[in-house]
Amino acid sequence: MKKGTIIAIVVVAVVLILGGTLISGYNDLVEKNENVESKYSDISVQLERRTDLIPNLVSTVKGYMKHEEKVIESVTTARENLVNAKSLTDKAKANEELTVSLNNLIAVVENYPDLKANTNFINLQDELAGTENRIAVARKDYNDTVSTYNKAIKSFPKNILASMFNFEEKDYFEAKESANEVPNVSFNED
Amino acid sequence: MYRSTRINLLILLLFSCIFITNANALVEPTPEFYVNDYANILSPETEKYIVEKSKELYRTDGTQIVVVTVPNLEGQSIEEYSLNLARYFGIGSKEKNNGLLLLLALEERESRVEVGTGLEGILPDGKTGRFQDQYMIPYFKDNDFDMGIRNGYNAFFNEIVKLNNLDLELTKLKGDEFFSGVESINIEHFLIDLLIGCTFGLVARFSDFFRKKISKIYIICGLILGLVLFYLKSFYFLFVIFNMVGFAIGRFSYFAPNIVFQLLNPNTYDFSGSSSSHSSSSSHSSHSSSSSHSSGGGGRFSGGGSSRKF
Repeated sequence: MKKGTIIAIVVVAVVLILGGTLISGYNDLVEKNENVESKYSDISVQLERRTDLIPNLVSTVKGYMKHEEKVIESVTTARENLVNAKSLTDKAKANEELTVSLNNLIAVVENYPDLKANTNFINLQDELAGTENRIAVARKDYNDTVSTYNKAIKSFPKNILASMFNFEEKDYFEAKESANEVPNVSFNED
Repeated sequence: MYRSTRINLLILLLFSCIFITNANALVEPTPEFYVNDYANILSPETEKYIVEKSKELYRTDGTQIVVVTVPNLEGQSIEEYSLNLARYFGIGSKEKNNGLLLLLALEERESRVEVGTGLEGILPDGKTGRFQDQYMIPYFKDNDFDMGIRNGYNAFFNEIVKLNNLDLELTKLKGDEFFSGVESINIEHFLIDLLIGCTFGLVARFSDFFRKKISKIYIICGLILGLVLFYLKSFYFLFVIFNMVGFAIGRFSYFAPNIVFQLLNPNTYDFSGSSSSHSSSSSHSSHSSSSSHSSGGGGRFSGGGSSRKF
């Protein structure tokens, strides 16, 4: 009788402790997952902002630069690619492409002093630079949360939970090596 | 075998050192908080002017404009440095994220305006760039940093007040007449005040000689002093009230000895931490000095703003 109660108490205690760690571990994973999602949406917002700014820039620039259609076109195509990108890696890749083609455009602008002094253009350039910086910040914040999340689902007690409840490893927001070559290819075609 | 682990440890140590220095590569907020002139390019008048105006602005809705000048950026880009600084200082309130940082790096000859997420609506990046071009860069080019900062500060200040419809007069009335200087008073002062009153009350209670007359005189004097101070619109009448409450506790309460003992026990309090509710949002320890200088409210920054070279 007495032995029985002791065993019962021990069993209950073990179940409670195990259950407690399971629940808190699961909640922790859910929270980390949520963090990643919210940071991901931050990136998406900034990427969208960037794609929204491009048409304005193109229409401003077109009035001044009559003979630079190729450069302008590469910006427009890069923008299209970013809009159409679905997965995280595709977005990162397209974003990288857009940065490259925008830098090319800005370099060409150096030859057009009138355009460089245009207040509308200066304004747009600031907005673009600000957005680019925001993307960089959002990307760093996102990658940080992904790193803590990935560590959590791989470390010992939680990896069991993670495999039980299908918490999968998340990708970092970064352009893979091959992404940098894509714009080069399109320039070689010209 | 041993050697390789040792080398690994060494590398680890080295890396941790790099991380530590990176974390410390930022300047610390000064007690004034709103002006941090580490490059020594601002005149005392400008510093005083900015601190006064920023305090005034803070009283309206928690908006904080902070000016920082640094000799150099410690090898970081100005975007990186200013974002880290703004987040470390915790500029702006946590609810409204209405912080603004004006940063100038002397060696690099660069400036940046970092906008908190709550102010991005009224201060888009293009506008912050235009304001810099218009009000600051021309002076910076002539090395008149003092005037450039002051001019730019005014432009941003006025824009925020105008577009957010902030009523500076309202806070002036409250701030200047009644609660002026109230920021320099801490809750500890009131507690000490309460204790003094309590001690007097206890003396009056436990000594036969004082019991009758002293209590009356003390209370009457307190009432008169309180009324006079209230009439003069000085917030010091609060001290009189606290003192009277302390006296009443000491004189009449049967639990007084216990209360006094508890109040006197230093373990009940932790004065070393900042007593005000503001604390920086970052993982760094909050500013440890217990004097009640202003500090950041933990506003959010996502990298908005613009940079200039001059």
